[in-house]
Amino acid sequence: MKRFLLLAILSVAMSPALASAGDMGANILNQRCSTCHNLTGPAPQTIKDLWKRDAPDLFYAGNKFRRGWLVEWLQKPVRIRPAGVNYLRTINSTPKNLDPKKGQKYDVLWGSVLKPLQHLKLKKEEAEAVADALMELKPHDDLIAGMMLDKSQQVSLEKGEVLIDKVYGCFSCHQIEPGFGGYTGSELYTAGARLQPAFMLSYIKRPKNWDPKIWMPNGNVKPDDLEKIVNYLILLSKEDFNASN
Amino acid sequence: MRLTSMIFVTAALMLIATPALHAEEAYLNYKSYCMQCHGMHGQGDGVNVPAMNVRPRDHSDNKYMMTRTNTEIYKAIKFGGPAVNKSVKMPAWGDTFTEEEIHQLVGHIRTLCCEREIIRGVNFK
Repeated sequence: MKRFLLLAILSVAMSPALASAGDMGANILNQRCSTCHNLTGPAPQTIKDLWKRDAPDLFYAGNKFRRGWLVEWLQKPVRIRPAGVNYLRTINSTPKNLDPKKGQKYDVLWGSVLKPLQHLKLKKEEAEAVADALMELKPHDDLIAGMMLDKSQQVSLEKGEVLIDKVYGCFSCHQIEPGFGGYTGSELYTAGARLQPAFMLSYIKRPKNWDPKIWMPNGNVKPDDLEKIVNYLILLSKEDFNASN
Repeated sequence: MRLTSMIFVTAALMLIATPALHAEEAYLNYKSYCMQCHGMHGQGDGVNVPAMNVRPRDHSDNKYMMTRTNTEIYKAIKFGGPAVNKSVKMPAWGDTFTEEEIHQLVGHIRTLCCEREIIRGVNFK
């Protein structure tokens, strides 16, 4: 009986603390994140709305991210998309004043994306609370239902690169090493650590389901190749890219 | 009399406004989806070019573009490069655009390369 009483007292004493931890995440999200991030959905439905987007949509964060990565990133935010979230604002046409024989012959990045990312930095406990709050946002469970990664379909880094570059051409927009690949997509070398496997399977299969106007095309990836690509991305994320730099 | 003139004015406005709206839509689509590789002015000099082993088509290259039919351009957009014996680096956009949007894009690409020919009334099929 005494034990029961003690437990009851403890649980009553603990519950406000738990509730406040939960509230802290939601409060930070609502007060500090919602000015730039869409936390309620839906995703942009027209091209004009898409260009108004200032930061990645977070309303399906719980379906998308790995919690551990979120906690780390929120403490040390770095840019994930080299051309920014909205590349119409960050691409400038081919510089005209350069000698075309010597100078660059293609469009260039300019503006804020050339500088380190300006993003709120959170303390560890804040990051934990915000990550918990984000992981609760799961409106798209239907899109990842039945998406189970087949871990038997492993590929080597070389074969994975062939899929990404030669077979499906993802490399034109996405980087598979820092500075190696296109600029307009998100970096792929951290994707395996950043994203849930089920999300990667679902998103690559049909990006439009998640983001109706997004500029990532449906690559019509064959089911076997889809599994291989996601296994490759997970393998790739375990590489230490700082070692070679 | 007033009603007839109103109807006439509305019809005339629609005739002018509809193609203009389509043109704006196609321009926005081109800017949003094609520009990253084909460049801000469609000259095959997009920001992603350094990462590509195949140079994207220069849509302002009149000499080459004159040899392509509208059907071929349509196929390249809808089904991707391999559908017209070109590189896989040109993805299939059939799931992104509607039929109408693809036709509008073909029209937009023609304005980049072949404006004079369009004015002359050349039929690109």
